[in-house]
Amino acid sequence: MTQFSKYIILLAIVIQVIVFSILSPEFLTVDNLVNVALSIAITGVLAVGMTFVILTGGIDLSIGSVLAVAGIVAAICAKSFGDFGILVGLVAAISVGVVSGLFTGITVSRFKVPPFVVTLAILTIARGLSFIIADKYAGSTSVSDLPSGFAFLGREKLLGLPVPVIVMLLVFAIGWFILTQTRFGRYVYAIGGNSEASFLAGINVKSVTTWVYVLNGFLVGLAGAILASRLGAGLANAGMQYELDVIAAVVVGGTSLMGGKGSVVSTLFGAIFIGVLNNGLNLAGIDPYLQKIALGVVILLAVLADQINKK
Amino acid sequence: MKLKLFILLALTSLFVAGCNQQTASNANTSTKTATGDKKKIGVTLLTREHQFYKDLEAGLKAEAEKNGFELIVQSGDMDLAKQQSQIENFIVQKVAAIVVCPADSKGISPAIEKANAANIPVFTADISASGSGKVVSHIASDNVLGGKMAAEFIAGQLKEGGDVGIIGQPEVQSTIDREKGFKEEMAKHPNIKVVATLNGGGVRDRATKAADDMLQGNPNLKAIFAINDDSALGALASAETRGKKDLIIVGYDATPEAVAKIQAGTMLKADVAQDPKLIGSKTIETISKHLKGEKVEAVVAIPVKIVDK
Repeated sequence: MTQFSKYIILLAIVIQVIVFSILSPEFLTVDNLVNVALSIAITGVLAVGMTFVILTGGIDLSIGSVLAVAGIVAAICAKSFGDFGILVGLVAAISVGVVSGLFTGITVSRFKVPPFVVTLAILTIARGLSFIIADKYAGSTSVSDLPSGFAFLGREKLLGLPVPVIVMLLVFAIGWFILTQTRFGRYVYAIGGNSEASFLAGINVKSVTTWVYVLNGFLVGLAGAILASRLGAGLANAGMQYELDVIAAVVVGGTSLMGGKGSVVSTLFGAIFIGVLNNGLNLAGIDPYLQKIALGVVILLAVLADQINKK
Repeated sequence: MKLKLFILLALTSLFVAGCNQQTASNANTSTKTATGDKKKIGVTLLTREHQFYKDLEAGLKAEAEKNGFELIVQSGDMDLAKQQSQIENFIVQKVAAIVVCPADSKGISPAIEKANAANIPVFTADISASGSGKVVSHIASDNVLGGKMAAEFIAGQLKEGGDVGIIGQPEVQSTIDREKGFKEEMAKHPNIKVVATLNGGGVRDRATKAADDMLQGNPNLKAIFAINDDSALGALASAETRGKKDLIIVGYDATPEAVAKIQAGTMLKADVAQDPKLIGSKTIETISKHLKGEKVEAVVAIPVKIVDK
C-alpha cells in the first residue's frame, strides 16, 4: 500500500517535470536541478527528523523557531572563535537543537503532555529567545558579517554539488538506514502503530520516543547552522512557518499523521515534489497569489489521493 | 482521526490567542493604575520582529515622552484578528487616540469603525487603511516615490538597458506601492524590461530561494529591486553563492546591515532609505496637534532618499 502511494507521488513528480519543461525552457537544465536540490536541502534535513517524529504519532511545531536560535548561536560562535568558528558554531547549533529535543522528548514521554502543545509552547519561547539573543549581541534582528570560513556549510560546492545538498543526501541515507535496518527503527514504527502494544511487547517506549525528539533536535540544529552559513547571517526571523513546509513535505510524501506508516524515502519524494512545484511556478513566472492557491490545491490532492488509495 | 487533529489545532490556537490577550490586557491595566493622569495612546504595530518597527517604536516613545503621553504599545504579529481585539481593548481602556499599522488594510476597517463610534481618533502609521472606517491622518513614507527612485537609480546604471526583476511581498500595501512606483518608472525606459516578479515574503530565507529561481530562470538579469532589506540581503546571498559579479541590487529601508554591505562594495549598490523614527515621532506630533484642536493633514508624507556608496 505504501509502495503504491510511493508510485503516485513519483508519477506526480514526472507529470510536473513534463509540464514545467513545456512552460519554461530553463526548467530542465542541470543547473536548475541543482538549484531545486539546494532549495529543498534545509526542508529536506528537517523533514527527515519530522518523519521520525510523525512516525511515532507525534508532531513538532517548534522546528522553525529552534532553527532560528541555533542559527544565531552558530553565527555568534563563528564570530567569536576565529579559526575554529565553523566547528564550534556547528557543535553549538546542534547542541541547541539537542537540548530542545531532549526537553520535548522528556515532556512528551515522561509527563504525557501532547507533543502538539509542548512544541507549540517551545515555538513561541524559542522565537522570543532568538530575538532577545540577537538584540543583546548585535543590537538588531540579525548577527551578520560572519567570517568567510563559515561559508563552507552553506555556500561551497564539493564534487559539483552544493554542500547543503550533500548534507541532505547523507541525512536521508542515514535516516533510511536507521529506520529500515536497525532495531531502533522497528521500534519507532511499532510505537506509532500501537504504543500500548509496544510497551507490552517490552519496548522501552519512553526512551525510544525521547531519542526520536533528540534526533529531530539534532537535525534542526544542523539545519540552523547550514541556513546561517548560506545567508551569511544568523537571523531572529529565520525559519518562520518552516514547520508547515516540512509537515507538508512529509504528508505529501505519504507518511500518515497518525503514525506508524511512512518512510524517509516518501518524505524525500514529498520534498522534491514541493520543491519542483515552487521552482517551476517561479520559473514560469506565475503570479505569486496564484502560486499560493496552486500549492494548497496540490497538497489537498496529494492527501486525497492517499486516502482514496487506502480504501 | 485527522479531523480530531485539526480540531485540536483550531482549539489550541484559540486557547493560545486567548492567553495572549489575557496577559496583554493584564499588563495594560497594571500600567494604567501606575500612571493614571497622563493621556494614553494605544498603538498596535504590525510586528515587533523587524528592525523597521523597532525604530518606529523608538520614535513614538521619544516623542510621546516629550509630549507627556503614556504609550501602550502592542504587536499585532501580522495577525488581523489580534489587532482587532487589541483595538477593542484600547476602546475599553478609553485611550485618547489609537495608532494602527494594519496587518490588512481593508480588514482593519470594522475595528476602526468601532473606535469611530467611541469617538476615539484613529491614526495609521506606515501602512494605510481603506474602507469606511475614518482615519484622521496617515503618516508614512511615500512608498510609490521610493519605488520610483529605486527604478531611477537602476535606469541610471543600466544605460544600455537589460532585464530586471523584483523580489516583492504582494501581501502588504506599502510594498505593493513600492513595486507599483518601480514599474511605473521603468515603463518610461523602453530598453529596460521587468521580466520577473517573485514573492520573497519580506524575509531573508524565502527571498534567497526566490532570487535563486529568478537568477536561474533569467541568466541575463542585470538588476534586482527588493522591496525591503531582508529581501535585498537574501538576493545578495543568492547572487554571491552563484558566483555572480555584475548584478545590481537595490534594497529598501537602509538598515545598518544593508548600508554596511553597500559601503563594502558588494552587489547591493543602493537602498531607498525611509526614516522610521521620524514616522514615529511625526505620528505623535500629529496626534498632539489633533488633540489640541489644530487641523492636521490627511496624509503626512515622510520623505525618502537614495543611499549609495
